[in-house]
Amino acid sequence: MHTIDRYALYTITLLALTCVLHSCTPVKPYQRAWLNDAAMRPGSTGIEKFDINVHTIREGASGGGNGKASGGCGCN
Amino acid sequence: MERPAEAAAAIDQKMKNRYLTLALLTSVLHTRGQQDSIYHHQRVSRTDIEVLFGYYTQNGDHSAITGGTGTEKLRVYSPEFTIAHHRDSAHTLTLNAGIDIISSASMDNIDFVVSSASRLSARTHGSAAYSWKLRRSNTHIAVQTGLSVESAYLSLPLGVSIEHNDPSGSREWKASLQCYFDDLRYGWISKEYFRPVGLIYPAELRDTNWFPNYRRNSYNFAFSFYQVINPRMQMAFFPEFVYQKGLLSTPYHRVYFKGSSERVEKLPAERWKLPLAVQLNVFAGSRAVIRSYYRFYHDELGITAHTLQLEVPVKIHPAFSLAPLVRFYTQTAARYFLPYHQHDVTEAFYTSDYDLSRFDSYKAGLTLRYAPQRPMSPGYTFNALSLRYAWYKRSDGLTAHILTLLLELEHTRVHALHEGFNHSD
Repeated sequence: MHTIDRYALYTITLLALTCVLHSCTPVKPYQRAWLNDAAMRPGSTGIEKFDINVHTIREGASGGGNGKASGGCGCN
Repeated sequence: MERPAEAAAAIDQKMKNRYLTLALLTSVLHTRGQQDSIYHHQRVSRTDIEVLFGYYTQNGDHSAITGGTGTEKLRVYSPEFTIAHHRDSAHTLTLNAGIDIISSASMDNIDFVVSSASRLSARTHGSAAYSWKLRRSNTHIAVQTGLSVESAYLSLPLGVSIEHNDPSGSREWKASLQCYFDDLRYGWISKEYFRPVGLIYPAELRDTNWFPNYRRNSYNFAFSFYQVINPRMQMAFFPEFVYQKGLLSTPYHRVYFKGSSERVEKLPAERWKLPLAVQLNVFAGSRAVIRSYYRFYHDELGITAHTLQLEVPVKIHPAFSLAPLVRFYTQTAARYFLPYHQHDVTEAFYTSDYDLSRFDSYKAGLTLRYAPQRPMSPGYTFNALSLRYAWYKRSDGLTAHILTLLLELEHTRVHALHEGFNHSD
């Protein structure tokens, strides 16, 4: 892995952890109207499934909250 | 003597009235108790039905079947059907089945078939998953299996996962192990055989048995962590580790070396992959959601990739939304990749598959979603209809169009349990 990529990885991990540990505020059930919206759901949406399959086949990278990382040929 | 007798009768009458009132009160309370017990013993089951249709078309000029040169024209039609039956709040059974019908010009070139129409092939796949909630906890366990078959590929997935929701609803984590046991022999659903007969090599290279092994095993360890940041923002992390072992080369990919030598693609027998993704979803204003996603990826072949995606669903109407999206992706080349006629015969591993080359890719698209959540007939609800189009371009010249249609229905059913009625009798 190149040094610059390693630094990018460390920076992102640190930033993410900092966000989680220091920026979270307790959310009461009656404050969840925005969070409960279908578009706010984390992870991939149902309609993205076919796109993700295409990316898994046509690109070297796969995985990362995107479902399958193997299990089909995709050799065409 | 009459007076005491009258007084005694009056007292008796008063007592009778009190008993009567008490009896009536008890009766009323008992009846309410009966109604409550029946109400509490109902079970509501829900079934989510999803019908997805995908259409994909691509064109390019770097087919790996012809050694990194030649047509990559391809069309895929992909209908898929998913049913998730939630028996109650604790148990869910999910079934999925689908077929990919593939029309590929490059597949003809395994045998150098010259045909007016491209060769049709198909991949059929199905899976089943069952999840249940552990008693007195917010933890779910799930197991999953399935089968995916095409003419030169069979894949058997097995998986297990555990998911825990924080009681406050602001934190959730999930860990899963998904294993794929693949067999790359030809003949599984071929008209002539319907059984595996061996690896398929390019027509002119069949005098050599290039690979003694025809199996490929993949082990995916995936972890996801969701955290609510504030009432309008939540974040997710997706670290993952993938280990693959076995035949990782595609046996009908050609490689042309300097001079006139030609061989079948050869990649190492082991590969690990390390994707790490972060997602941040923000509800901006009263109508728009900003969904942002970044992924870092590195693997043993030397590919390092970055993916950035931004999608903004905007609510035009309570039931209708538009979601434009852009995606940028960049990867470095695998250390074993070189173009047509560039490899040296002394190399241990070699490929001319442009999916493993250095390139950038761009995607732009739009999703239309109509979600009326309207009852159709007793028990059935029309939840949503979504249509998505995306245009995809790779810097090596490959272009593609992706079209997806998704229909979401729901069926609910109330089950009156016998225990409730027995209790009230």
